[in-house]
Amino acid sequence: MNYLLTTLTKKQEVDSMIRDTIDKVLVLCFGRASDSIFLQLDEILYKSVREVSKFATVALVDIDSDDVQVYVKYFDITLIPSTVFFFNAHHMKMDCGSADHTKWVGTFLRKQDFLDVVEAIYRGAMKGKLIVTCPLPPDRIPKFHLLYEDV
Amino acid sequence: MPIQNPNPNKKKKKHSNQDDDEDDTVQGKQRTQFEFCKACRLNHNQGRRHIYFPNHKKALSSFLSRFQSKLKNDVAFYLKKPMPLRPEHAALNRLWCVFCDFDILESDSSFACSGNAIAHLASAEHLKGVKSFLWKYGGGMDRMDSFRISESDFTKWEKKCKLLKSEAAGGGSHGSLIGPLNDIHNESKSEYVNSFDKNKLDCLTSDVKCSNSVVPLQDHTIERSQISHSKICTVGPQILHAGTGVGLGARTPNGLPGFFGNQHYTHSVPKEGPAYSCPNDGKVYSYEGIAIGDRHSQGTSSEESRLQTQENGGGNVHSGAPPPWFSAAEKIQLDNKLNQGLGDLVSSLGEQMKTSKLNPKRVGAAWAERRKIELELEKRGELVRHDFGADWLPNFGRVWQSGSRKDSRKEFLGENKTWRKVDSQIEKPSQFQPYISKRMRTDNTAE
Repeated sequence: MNYLLTTLTKKQEVDSMIRDTIDKVLVLCFGRASDSIFLQLDEILYKSVREVSKFATVALVDIDSDDVQVYVKYFDITLIPSTVFFFNAHHMKMDCGSADHTKWVGTFLRKQDFLDVVEAIYRGAMKGKLIVTCPLPPDRIPKFHLLYEDV
Repeated sequence: MPIQNPNPNKKKKKHSNQDDDEDDTVQGKQRTQFEFCKACRLNHNQGRRHIYFPNHKKALSSFLSRFQSKLKNDVAFYLKKPMPLRPEHAALNRLWCVFCDFDILESDSSFACSGNAIAHLASAEHLKGVKSFLWKYGGGMDRMDSFRISESDFTKWEKKCKLLKSEAAGGGSHGSLIGPLNDIHNESKSEYVNSFDKNKLDCLTSDVKCSNSVVPLQDHTIERSQISHSKICTVGPQILHAGTGVGLGARTPNGLPGFFGNQHYTHSVPKEGPAYSCPNDGKVYSYEGIAIGDRHSQGTSSEESRLQTQENGGGNVHSGAPPPWFSAAEKIQLDNKLNQGLGDLVSSLGEQMKTSKLNPKRVGAAWAERRKIELELEKRGELVRHDFGADWLPNFGRVWQSGSRKDSRKEFLGENKTWRKVDSQIEKPSQFQPYISKRMRTDNTAE
C-alpha cells in the first residue's frame, strides 16, 4: 500500500493531527484500503496534496483499526469512504444537497472538484462560517442514501 | 395554427430586447455589467447595490480617511503658511487626487509649496470630481467640503503667497527655503514674536511637516540649545518664570561661560525654535524661556517638569553624555541590523505580519492563537507537552444534531458510556452449560 497517503491508525495520532493543524483545513478521510472507491479517492488526494498544501492538510484514517472506532462512532461514519473537514479543531459542515452536511461521502469525480471543495471550506472558515455550501453542481456530487438513526 | 406561433414569439423577443434593462432591475438579478469599485479595488456586477454592503463601507471609510489625512498633514499646513518651493523638492511634493484620478505635480508652481495641489483642490473641476465620486461610491454628500478648499481659503492663501513673493523680492537675496527663517535683523522683534507664536502652533499641529522643512543650521542650534538648556536648569526655574530674554545675561549671577555666546544667539534662536520643535519639544520651551523678551511662556510649570526630567534622564555635554542625535543614530543602526540580518527575525516578523492580517473572526481563531502560543512554548521547552487525554474529542456537529456542538459531544459521551456498559455486561463471564434435555435430567435424577 505504498500509494496511500499518511494513514493514521490510532486515536492519539488523529488527535495530534487535529490539534496541530492550525489555520489550515484538515481533510480526514475514513476508509479501508481494500475498497476501490477509497483507493480512487486516495489517488485524487495524492495528486492534490501539494497544491493545497498552503491551506490544507490531508490525512487518511483506517476505519478497521480499533483505536479509531470512537471516532467512527462520533462522526457517524457508516458509508465508506467518508471525508470530514476540520479547521482549527472545529468541524466544518458542507451542504452538498444531501441530508448529511457533516461529511463528504464518496470520492471526487475530478481533482478540480476536490480543490473547489477544499477552497470553499477554507473561504468559509476564514470568514467565520461553520457551514458552507458546496460549489459543485449536483451532477458532480456522488449520491448516497442516508441510513437512519435507528436502522 | 402554426402561422400564429411565430408572431407572438417575435413580439416577445422584441419586448425582451427592450425590456432587458428593466428586467434586470425588476428581478434584481446580477445581470448588470462588471464595474470596478475604487474603494474596495474589486470588480463587481452588483451595480448600485454594492455601495451599501458593509465591506464596501469599511473599505470606503479607510480609503477616504487616508486621503483626508494626506490633505490635513500636507496641504492644510501649506495653506496656512505658504513657503517658497525649491525645484529639488518639487519631485517629492506630488499629490494624487483620488477623486479626479490624476497626479498633481509641483513642476511649475513658482511661489509656494504644493501650489498646484492647492489650486486644484480649490478648482471647480475638482469639486465636480468629488461630487461624482461621492455619489458613485456613496460616501455621503455632506463630507464634500472636507475634501476640497473653499474659495475664501484659496483667496487668503493666494494673498499670503503674494506677500511672500513681494517680501522675497524686497528682502534681498535670502532665498532660503526656510520660510520662517526670514532675515532677523531687518524685522522688529514684536512682529517676530507674533510670527513665532504662529509657527509654534503650526508646528505643534502638524509635527510631521516640520521634518520636511530641512534647516541647515540644525546642528549648531541643538548644541546651543543643549548648552543653554543645561544652563537654565542649573540656574533654576526662576529664570523660566521671569522669562526675560536678552536680559538673561544680566540675570545669571554665576557668570556662566558662554554667556556671550548665548546673547549673541538669542536673536537667532526663536526663529529656529519652531523648526526644532520636532526633535525635542522641551527645547523649544527652553528657547521661549530665554529669548522671548517679556513674554511669559505659557504653561511653564509643565515645561519645567518636562525639562527637569529630561535633564535628569539625559545628561549633557559637561557630564559627557552622548548627544541626543547619537542615541537616535544607534536606534537607526540597530534597525539596519535587524533589517539586514537574521533570517529568524525576518521570518518571525513575517509570520507575525501574517497573523496580524488573519481574520480574527475566522473559525476557531481563539483556539488557534492559544495553540500557537502553546506550541511556541513547547519548542522553547518551557512547557512540557501534556497529552490531552484519551477522551478528548474535537468539536463536532453530529448529523442529527439538535443543540449546540458541546451538547452533541456530551450526548455522544453519554452514549459511549452506555455502549461501554453494554460491552462490559456482555464481557461478564457467562457460564455456558451444555443443554441437557428434560429426559436426560430426569434420567439423571432417576439414576
